[in-house]
Amino acid sequence: MTREGFDVSCGSSRKTQILVIEDEDTIAEFLKTGLKYEGYGVTVAKDAVTGLDSARESNPDLIILDIMLPDKDGFEVCRRLRRRGTSIPILMLTAKKEISDKVEGLDAGADDYLTKPFSFEELLARIRALLRRSGRAVKTTELRVVDIVLNTETREVFKGGKRLTLTPREFSLLELFMRHPRRVFTRETLLNRLWGYDYPGETNIVDVHVSHLRNKLGDKPPRLIRTHYGVGYAFYPEEGD
Amino acid sequence: MWKGLSLRLRLTIVYAGLLALLLTILGATFFVDTRNLLIENTASYIRATAKPVIEHWLYGKKVSEKNRDIVSEDYLRKIARFMARDLTSRNTVALVLDKRGKILAIGKLLKEEPAPPSPDPFYYRQALSGENEVTYILSKNDKHILVILIPLRSGPGSDRVLGAVQLSSPLARVEAILYRHGITLAAGTIITLLLGTILGLLAISSALSELRQMIVTCQNITEGRLDQRIDLPARSDEVGQLAEAFNKMVERLEAAFSAQRRFVASAAHELRTPLTAIRGSLEVLLRGAQDDPGSVATLCQGMYKEVVRLGELCEKLLDLARLEISVNVCKEDVVLSDFFESSLKQVKLIASGRKVLLEKGPYVSLKADPHLLKQIVFDLVQNAVQHTDEGGRLTLGWRLGVDAVQIWIEDNGYGILPEDLPRIFEPFYRGKGVSGWKKRPEGSGLGLTLVKTMVEAHGGKITVSSKVNEGTRFVIELPYR
Ligand SMILES: Nc1ncnc2c1ncn2[C@@H]1O[C@H](COP(=O)(O)OP(=O)(O)O)[C@@H](O)[C@H]1O
Ligand SMILES: [Mg+2]
Repeated sequence: MTREGFDVSCGSSRKTQILVIEDEDTIAEFLKTGLKYEGYGVTVAKDAVTGLDSARESNPDLIILDIMLPDKDGFEVCRRLRRRGTSIPILMLTAKKEISDKVEGLDAGADDYLTKPFSFEELLARIRALLRRSGRAVKTTELRVVDIVLNTETREVFKGGKRLTLTPREFSLLELFMRHPRRVFTRETLLNRLWGYDYPGETNIVDVHVSHLRNKLGDKPPRLIRTHYGVGYAFYPEEGD
Repeated sequence: MWKGLSLRLRLTIVYAGLLALLLTILGATFFVDTRNLLIENTASYIRATAKPVIEHWLYGKKVSEKNRDIVSEDYLRKIARFMARDLTSRNTVALVLDKRGKILAIGKLLKEEPAPPSPDPFYYRQALSGENEVTYILSKNDKHILVILIPLRSGPGSDRVLGAVQLSSPLARVEAILYRHGITLAAGTIITLLLGTILGLLAISSALSELRQMIVTCQNITEGRLDQRIDLPARSDEVGQLAEAFNKMVERLEAAFSAQRRFVASAAHELRTPLTAIRGSLEVLLRGAQDDPGSVATLCQGMYKEVVRLGELCEKLLDLARLEISVNVCKEDVVLSDFFESSLKQVKLIASGRKVLLEKGPYVSLKADPHLLKQIVFDLVQNAVQHTDEGGRLTLGWRLGVDAVQIWIEDNGYGILPEDLPRIFEPFYRGKGVSGWKKRPEGSGLGLTLVKTMVEAHGGKITVSSKVNEGTRFVIELPYR
């Protein structure tokens, strides 16, 4: 599992918009919640007709399209979108493993393809790749907050022009904080995202890493990474309280 | 060794062997019979020509005087030479013997007349003791000679024997005929045997070559290519029948296998959807949505719904599996009127406010599993309720058919679209829904599959007729016994 790289165009005025066309309520719901949490703007359509309308009206940056829809199948939707001349990247979801489905999907004009059940992280990786390829995501390899510069490609961090040496976990922690300023992360969430969903250890290991990061950033007394007692940590880029 | 040979070779060997045996027995019998007949003929001819000569010489004009001694030994000695000469011809030589077996006269005079064999005491004693039909064949350096002995009596019909005449004739002519015969027979036998074997081999081969083709087809089918069929030119013999029966069997197997494959594919799909939802929801929660109470609530509700759905699906799949091996069918006598009376309360409960009508038929008792019968009726009622407005009406009833009881469950609900109608019994199939439905019914699509399996476990069948916006009628036919 990769725990780095959250290419969300944070800071920019407009969020990346994703249209989810999926009729299964629960799947649509978790996609919406999860993608929103990752910083995307999400619209859900429960059938092909609504989906096509929505694609025309809102002009999303990416479409996630289920193959089994109640009124039309996903291939047909895909073909119609392409016939209209849209170049919006389309990611197809299918419950079938058959190669023929993949071939038909790609023939119909889909850009990528995922088989249910898929991992959400895999979905995010595919979304990022598709957005990058289509040039719809601002290519952000450098995150800047006040005097902190973080390069996701070279994995270097500078503070006030001075280079900091961070462990990979500290780097990921800082990246997560910088991408989601002001969001309060619980220790459990930080543990899940940095150590994996099945890490058996206690959450105080998070406290240890946060304190190391604070030391290296010279964040003492803590202003950048603040403790929310009984809850977790949040990152505040602005100077002052 | 024998078992190792191919069927074709074995059949041919047996066939050729039997043919050879038959021809040999027939040929040998025919040959021996012909030989005996020819020899007998020759002997009787010689006897017939000799008899008047002997009588002429011995008895002269007194032939008709019976049971009297006419001639003596001396007389015989006197005429022996003349009689022997008279009895001798180009083919036959005569010898006259006296009472003790001494040669009295030899008929051979000319060179071309065959030399007589010396008399054999074993046989001439028989003749001298009065036996009339003494005939034997003598082999002398590869030549066969027919020897006939005729006793000479003192008078016609007299018991006193004065001597004997030995007539001998080489069998050269008979042998020539027999030789020709033998050659023809042998040639015929060999030709018949050859032709028979070749034709037999061809016939067997043509019958078996199609068996070979069947073997190849069988091997292909074993490798999983169930679309293979035996393609023989139409023939109505056993091989043709075998091929036809075989093809029918494979047809059914293929249908069963593809149904099974479709079932598994559908089941996998049905399982994948809730699993995707649960896995995705959990991942989203773990990634941080757990920090937002609103997201936790929606995602947990969704997962709960999916888990319930999975549970129901498992339950129904298990029911189906159990029914398929039909271990759970315990038939007993069910009186239909009692059955419906006792189920009516529960049916009304399921109907939740919809009108329920019972159209009772005549008294009838059948062999059925009452629990399964109940489940069939309840499942159909449940469907009727799901697809009928609150003010709707359900009708249940039964009547007697020719050899089955008909039970119906009818509603006046939304009905089934014509394109859905032939498919609703398929596993996991859910109707597209008629416009006017409030919402798409949730379900596994296994309900009617189960009902159908349960009905078929009773040896019955189920049919459906429906009209959109008018209603649906399911009819179950259960055999009396
Ligand atoms: N009484 C009925 N009236 C209208 N449609 C029906 C009726 N019974 C069954 N159907 C149709 O048949 C489909 C399959 O039914 P069923 O096998 O019972 O599925 P489920 O287990 O999901 O209820 C339903 O989705 C519905 O479209
Ligand atoms: Mg049902």
